[in-house]
Amino acid sequence: MIEVVDLAKRFPVKGERGKFVDAVRQVTFTAPDGAITGLLGPNGAGKTTTLRMIATLVEPTHGSARTDGFDGHLKPAEVRARMGVLSDARGLYGRLTARENIAYYGALRGLPADRVQVMIGQLAEWLDMGPMLDRRTDGFSQGERMKVAIARALVHDPANVVLDEPTNGLDVMTTRKLREVVRHLREAGKCVLFSSHIMQEVSALCDSIVIVARGRVVASGTAEELLASSGRDNLEDAFVHLSGETESA
Amino acid sequence: MRSAAITVFLKELTDAFRDRRTALMVLIASIITGPITLVLVAQFVSGLEEKASILKVRISGQENAPALVNFLQRSDVEIEPAPKDYEALVREGRLDAVIVVPPDFDSRWLTGEGAKVEIFYDDSRTDAGPAIRQAERLLRAFNRETGMLRLVARGVSPDLVEPVKVDHVNTATPRQKGAFLLFLIPMFAILSPLLGGMTLAIDSTAGERERGSLEPLLANPVPIVQLVVGKWLAAWTFASLVAVLTLGGFVIAASLYAGKRLAALMAFGGPEFLAFVAVVVPFAAMTSALQMLICTYGRSYREAQTYVSYLATVVSFVPVIVLFSGMKDSLWQLAVPVLAQQVVLGRVIRGDVIAPVDWLMPSLMAFLLAAVFVGLVSRLLRDERIVFGRA
Repeated sequence: MIEVVDLAKRFPVKGERGKFVDAVRQVTFTAPDGAITGLLGPNGAGKTTTLRMIATLVEPTHGSARTDGFDGHLKPAEVRARMGVLSDARGLYGRLTARENIAYYGALRGLPADRVQVMIGQLAEWLDMGPMLDRRTDGFSQGERMKVAIARALVHDPANVVLDEPTNGLDVMTTRKLREVVRHLREAGKCVLFSSHIMQEVSALCDSIVIVARGRVVASGTAEELLASSGRDNLEDAFVHLSGETESA
Repeated sequence: MRSAAITVFLKELTDAFRDRRTALMVLIASIITGPITLVLVAQFVSGLEEKASILKVRISGQENAPALVNFLQRSDVEIEPAPKDYEALVREGRLDAVIVVPPDFDSRWLTGEGAKVEIFYDDSRTDAGPAIRQAERLLRAFNRETGMLRLVARGVSPDLVEPVKVDHVNTATPRQKGAFLLFLIPMFAILSPLLGGMTLAIDSTAGERERGSLEPLLANPVPIVQLVVGKWLAAWTFASLVAVLTLGGFVIAASLYAGKRLAALMAFGGPEFLAFVAVVVPFAAMTSALQMLICTYGRSYREAQTYVSYLATVVSFVPVIVLFSGMKDSLWQLAVPVLAQQVVLGRVIRGDVIAPVDWLMPSLMAFLLAAVFVGLVSRLLRDERIVFGRA
């Protein structure tokens, strides 16, 4: 379970002393176990920074992010151990094979080598990546890279999974595969937090949606609740309406 | 459970060894060029010596100076008549020096009027030097002999005109003579870890960020210091490996000269090799850590590459400074990285005795700095602006 309370992040503007940018102003939500929570918002809304704070890669200026009860600021190692992150940057080591890329993270997390190989076998089946496991990743397509990056994030079978815009740049087939995997994770009782700027993506997959705009949560709830609160009859209109509200405010 | 640092170390080494293009570049650049340079310089030097050791002079108009010709023949000097166009040949650099005897030489010489000869040469060509000095020496010897004979004929002791007799006693051992040539090996020994550690240092810092693999790596529950130590160990291993191979190349190059005239000049065998490795490996610990520190500031692979090549340039100046400043050995130098290595390796080459402090002080200094640099890199990687803000 991931609980985010009043999270805020202020970055200094490079080259201008005393000037700041508020990437995240006030974000509060809870992502429960056994559910897919979607973080929806336009580009630059603060989704990636929020996820980085949850993953303990960025220190919040204000507020807190707790994972399974551990505060990211006070116990980053505990949080990291319980979390698998597909971050905005998802580069692989091109001279290593897919298997070696995944096993590297398994070893870094202190898993025994045989356990890592079992996990790789299982993930390869889920993600349909059997034939490419022992090829070097530098010739991989974007979809293949994404699969390896996801497998790498899940190698320690984490209870919490954070995916930052996982469908970016993927074709329809791979996107479908990915949705399957995400649902699979929900069935396994994981807490899945998923960010996207694409309405359809989130509505097709998520149990609850948190809409973020300009660093603030502007609405949250199930797709139906969002439709009702915005008074629109389709989610895209609701999204535009809800995220537009803060722009005029 | 294996330490994360070891995991990182093994991964970085695997990764680096699979990079064939870079591996080949390093192999050619360091392992082969060093020994080849040594062989070429050795050829050049031995060429000079050979030129000088064969006593041979070229004379134009030797028929005008039978007495000089007689003297040269008695001194076992081979006389070769100069070709007619010797002036042009000297200018073109195809002849080193020619003794020119004017037609009136013999008559003036016989009457003691002060005969003249000319040595015709171009001293802007360094390799003509030995031939010029040889011609001069032979003419001076002829002068002295003639002068003495004339004094003796007049009943004057030759000691009167030569009150001081100069005998040459040269204390330089053949090894020390070779030190000029072998100044090359310390230079390569100091530069090779820089070359060897470069790729890995860049790839594991700026490269990692450019590739987008730094952020996920840092999301693992591993203390950043362990990641950095693993990367540093890999860079250090690679740097040391290249240094050892380079020095090995010199051992082979030097062994080609075993038993030849230059053997004494090229004394770089097992003991010297081991002493060099003992000095260079701790040095490599420092250079790879410093390279990583510099590269962590690089926004891209290319930027980091530029920074690192500046470092190599700075380091390569040090041996030149030592060579031209005529610096005397003293203790403080052992505490200055690069300079210390240069000084100690120079002593090894000259065959001087190496005291424990000569090895301990530079090595401790290197390890100390390596630790500081590794600490600084870890600190930088904890900085959000370095990890995310500058991509």
